[in-house]
Amino acid sequence: MKGRTRALARLLAVQGVWSYERMLGIGMGYAAEPLLHDLQSIDPARHAEATIRSAEFFNSHPYLAGLAVGAASRAEYDGVPGEQIRRFRTALCGPLGALGDQVFWAGLVPGIMAFALVAIALGVGGSGLLVAIVGYNAIRLAVTVWGLRTGLAAGLQVGTAISASWLPRVASRIGAPAGFLVGAALALIAAWFLVPLGSAGFGVAAITAMLGLALARWGGTKFTSLRFGLMTVGLTLVWMRFAPWP
Amino acid sequence: MTGSPLEFALLLLWGTVVGLDLVSVPQGLLARPLVAASIAGWLVGDPVAGMRVGALLELFALDVLPVGASRYPEYGPAAVGAALLAAHQPWSVGVGAGGSLGLLMAAVGGWSLQRLRKANARLVQANAAALTTGMPATIRRLQWMGLRRDALRALVVTGASLALALAGRAWLPVADVPGRVLTAALVGAGVAAALTGAWRSAGHGRRLRWLGAGVLAGALAGLLL
Repeated sequence: MKGRTRALARLLAVQGVWSYERMLGIGMGYAAEPLLHDLQSIDPARHAEATIRSAEFFNSHPYLAGLAVGAASRAEYDGVPGEQIRRFRTALCGPLGALGDQVFWAGLVPGIMAFALVAIALGVGGSGLLVAIVGYNAIRLAVTVWGLRTGLAAGLQVGTAISASWLPRVASRIGAPAGFLVGAALALIAAWFLVPLGSAGFGVAAITAMLGLALARWGGTKFTSLRFGLMTVGLTLVWMRFAPWP
Repeated sequence: MTGSPLEFALLLLWGTVVGLDLVSVPQGLLARPLVAASIAGWLVGDPVAGMRVGALLELFALDVLPVGASRYPEYGPAAVGAALLAAHQPWSVGVGAGGSLGLLMAAVGGWSLQRLRKANARLVQANAAALTTGMPATIRRLQWMGLRRDALRALVVTGASLALALAGRAWLPVADVPGRVLTAALVGAGVAAALTGAWRSAGHGRRLRWLGAGVLAGALAGLLL
């Protein structure tokens, strides 16, 4: 099977035409196209069917989509019945989404950004941010390469390959260090901002933060952080307009 | 900041790249407000201001979990405009003003993402018959149309963000005291946002204890430094 490098590059844009109807489907088909190309000369009818299947509804974490692209492409070459491949793709959606969200969106991303904030608060500045971004992207690329390779090698056995891999272990362990880093970053970055603003600035920030936490806890889902931030801006601007200035 | 057309064009280009990064390509954290604003600040000759306003917006972004079909704000292009507004101002005033613009444009960016997703759904539906023929060219065409649409969306949101930033620069500097109050209030709101997100992710288990330990360690380090 050729086209692995092109498939890999295309996996970086797997959400290029994300829609509520097919979610990652079209991007998956786009990434699978180079892998399925050889099937055209072997069995043109199967190639057309495989192309249709490859772009059908799919949803998972984008970084782990390569596992499904590789495994489904391998299954097409192995002559697995089409309906079985459809069911297989559907079965992969949940686990790949849950594992990816846990490892990346709820673990590595907040952890890495918290690391960058700590570096800034400690005066390391831009170089800390650069290390964080380069490091993150190295991991992101390595995971994409690993996903495609594992999917292609395992085919329909990709579930077993995932279970035996590093992914579930990292998913269960990444939360603690990420939580620690976020906690440390919050305290440090608050101090970094507020110490130069003096006790009055600290008081304003503390009152706002407590109000924000109370609304998040008891205000229901309407009070998103963005809405609370905009509300804070609005109230402060009103206060600035009517407060008596010397 | 020179205010030259080249500088504006570079900011527009950077904002477009950042907007594409969030969902479409390559999802490499360029869309994080800390990154987007720091680079934008560097482009206008004030990387420290960009970093400061980026750090503020990052606190709000830490509350966002961009899973599946959830709706979330888009902080990247917003942070580019925020950095332009905050650049070459006293930081205690610029961060609050830039942060305010950033929050407003993050809401606009999030709304534009929903519009794009609905437009993509219509595009795919319109090509449903072609997709059943198994022609790879149809998939390629749809993919590139989706990417172009997202790039255009990001360009427009960045343009609006930069236009508001330029308009806002005429209003700045506000008096020092209200500027500081706005900055302090937004830092408090940002800390609440990040803590809410971290708490939600932590649940009630081991991660929550580590979160608490991190807050204590950070506070201790903040006192010592």
